[in-house]
Amino acid sequence: MTRLLLLLLLAPVTLAGAYDRGELNELNDLYKNDRFEEALEGYNKIVAQEPANPWGWYNAGNALFRLNRTGPAVFHYARAFRLNPRDPNIRFNLEFALRQTGQALLPDGMPRALHYVYYLLSDMEIKAFAICLFWLACLAGAAGFLLDGAPSGAAASRTAVITAVMCLGCLGWLGARQNSPFAGAGVITKTGGARLLSGPGENFKACASAPEGLLVKVLDSIDDDYYEIGLPKEGVKGWALKTEVEKI
Amino acid sequence: MRAPGNGLKLALALALAGFAGPAAAALTISAETDRTSVEINENLYLTVQVAGDSSSVPEPKIPNMQNFNSYSSGRSQSISIINGKITTSVSFTYILSPRFLGIQKIPSISVFNGTEKAFTPEIEITVTRPSAAAAQNKAEGRIFLKAETDKKTAYPGEQVNLSVKFYTSVPLTSNPQYMQPPLKNLIPEDLPPIRSGETTLNGEHYAYSEIKTALFALSPGPAEIKPASVVVQVPSNETLDPFDPNFFQKFMSMSNAQGSSREFATEAVSLNIKPLPPGAPAGFSGAVGNYTVSATADRLEAKAGEPVNFSITVAGSGNLKAVTAPQLPDLQDFKVFDTMSSLDIRKDGDIIGGKKTFTYILVPRAAGRKTVPPITFHFFEPRAAQYRELQTAPLTINVKKGDLDSKNVYFSGGAAAPKVTASDIRYVSDEPRAGFIADSAEGIAALPLWPLTLPAGLMLATFWLSRFNRFKSANPLLFRFHRAKSQANSAVEKITALLKAGDTGAAVALLYDSFMYYLSDKCGVKVSALTMKKAAQLIKERFPAVTPRAMEEVRELWTALELRHFSPSAAEPEGVRNLLKKYSLLITLLEKELRRPRP
Repeated sequence: MTRLLLLLLLAPVTLAGAYDRGELNELNDLYKNDRFEEALEGYNKIVAQEPANPWGWYNAGNALFRLNRTGPAVFHYARAFRLNPRDPNIRFNLEFALRQTGQALLPDGMPRALHYVYYLLSDMEIKAFAICLFWLACLAGAAGFLLDGAPSGAAASRTAVITAVMCLGCLGWLGARQNSPFAGAGVITKTGGARLLSGPGENFKACASAPEGLLVKVLDSIDDDYYEIGLPKEGVKGWALKTEVEKI
Repeated sequence: MRAPGNGLKLALALALAGFAGPAAAALTISAETDRTSVEINENLYLTVQVAGDSSSVPEPKIPNMQNFNSYSSGRSQSISIINGKITTSVSFTYILSPRFLGIQKIPSISVFNGTEKAFTPEIEITVTRPSAAAAQNKAEGRIFLKAETDKKTAYPGEQVNLSVKFYTSVPLTSNPQYMQPPLKNLIPEDLPPIRSGETTLNGEHYAYSEIKTALFALSPGPAEIKPASVVVQVPSNETLDPFDPNFFQKFMSMSNAQGSSREFATEAVSLNIKPLPPGAPAGFSGAVGNYTVSATADRLEAKAGEPVNFSITVAGSGNLKAVTAPQLPDLQDFKVFDTMSSLDIRKDGDIIGGKKTFTYILVPRAAGRKTVPPITFHFFEPRAAQYRELQTAPLTINVKKGDLDSKNVYFSGGAAAPKVTASDIRYVSDEPRAGFIADSAEGIAALPLWPLTLPAGLMLATFWLSRFNRFKSANPLLFRFHRAKSQANSAVEKITALLKAGDTGAAVALLYDSFMYYLSDKCGVKVSALTMKKAAQLIKERFPAVTPRAMEEVRELWTALELRHFSPSAAEPEGVRNLLKKYSLLITLLEKELRRPRP
């Protein structure tokens, strides 16, 4: 029964992994031979097919970086980082690309170890973990109530309390992650940077400029053509064309 | 009689007086303008010429003009002496700015030298509206942006200063927004602050702001500074026409803060980046500029195994960000650990410079006087177009015997420690899948939320059940009271079946037991302890609202059932059926009576 449930859970994911290692090796060979444009095309297909695969984003980011398109590279690395923040290669390349654009992955004054813990799991993993803990807490709680008065009932109740606290901890963690620089964020991908206008239209005057590769907060995306974006560090906000900013 | 001499004197005096009259009339004044028609946003020149026969003439008195703003623009003087006669002519020039539309008059201007006074006639000037396009073009002509570099050719890494100057001779309604120029084959470094001032170009007075940027070329070949731009709000010169159908809308939207938004851009600037001359030394790593190098240690005495911070400082002018750590020679006496670098950039006199310090952690392997040999640093000096080589002074560290065991300090083989020479992104991944954990997490996180109600519902149900069981255990009499009716009804059905089957004895026994259990449950005492008297007493105590009729019915049924229960021969099917009907009615009656509130 358990196996069946696991198979059912993983079935959509297994079906999604539709490209094989041989195809990936061919793309990596193109990358190796400096044919970055062609490699990028293939990596983009993988990304379109499997948006939750961090390696597609990572490899595409590498190809873009080689093509001197730092802004899109930062965006792709940031996507990969959100999907697999534990991987040292993804972290390294994102940090490298951010440094190239005058930014840092590690906030000022934050110990590196704490940063690693904060990004130990991806948002999706934390959510899945919280769901599993919720199930466990409820089932253990039910067992505790059913076995009320028996020693095994007390053990089940303790398990329920511990898992419930862990579940709440996960939800708190997920909430704290909403304040991370990558939550609700975007990257300036336009070559040479983007103009920030004081309103969503060309008739508004330009109030600031944002360089390519800069991580920005996307404050509003209701408009068809413009994002309202904020630069928290500079205390500036404005409107930029959606074609010039990629939402992470 | 008067003497002839006196007559001559008189004649001479008269002659002089007659001559003096025309001489006094020599103080003249005239005024003229360079044009008689002017647009409201333009200026006109008024020239007032005062002439006299003395070496100095007085300044004319410009009357208070309501229709024009006037500014003095200078004077020019000419003196001529012809046949001993001095004639002085002074031209005073004024700039007049009209204030109102229509025909405006320049009032009469007077001059007074103490004895005589002269006046100019009034001058009429027609002040017209400016044409909108002309006004706009003029405004635009008075705003421009200019980009220039201090050199057109440079070596890779050599500083080129870009100056972008924004000139305006018209007031702006908001601060201009500067957009940096995109760069090709160049990296920028700001040179604050923004300089501003005033200047005169082609006779026009301009205010200007200058933004300077230092540029460093990346590689030989063409480099380009694409157009920089500035967005400004130019005051709108549109005038209000009272007959315009949108007059009120335009009037309400008029404000000094408003104007039309204009963008001004510079011309693109191309640079030629020359390749570095051949013959670069082996240790040259691309540093371009003019530098000095020095080496220091945080202490000159240490124990074996204790780390010593050894720093190499490269100071001078150039793009220090691109300067990489000098290569250390093979240090047999030390174990060399990671390099850290710190950068201190200065921009004095628009020259990028400062110092960059590379710090190595050296751990002496053994006691003794250990020397760090001179460190060589190569760079290219663009001004001299030559490669330079600098060396640090050797540094001797007195190493004492360490507290740690020497085995912990020595490193076998003497192989050189790995050194970081350059940094780059890591290679692409050949992982085709995200991984089991990520895949599972994606599957779980993708599930809809409604299945989460299942465990929650299960837990709530078990919680209710658990509370119910506890309550039931704590209140057994209450539960007996409530279930009495249902059990009695159940017994009635069974008795009916028994009667249909013809088993009258069993039916009577069951009817009797059911009645006794019903009363026992309602009174909260055991069946064995229940007597008719006690039952009546308990019912009255617990349910005072029960009517005497109900109590009488109870007594009657009890007596009849006892009779048939203990003498089965008296139990006839018809009689039992009647008792059963009576029992059913009694239960219905008691259920009502027992629930009746206390009087």
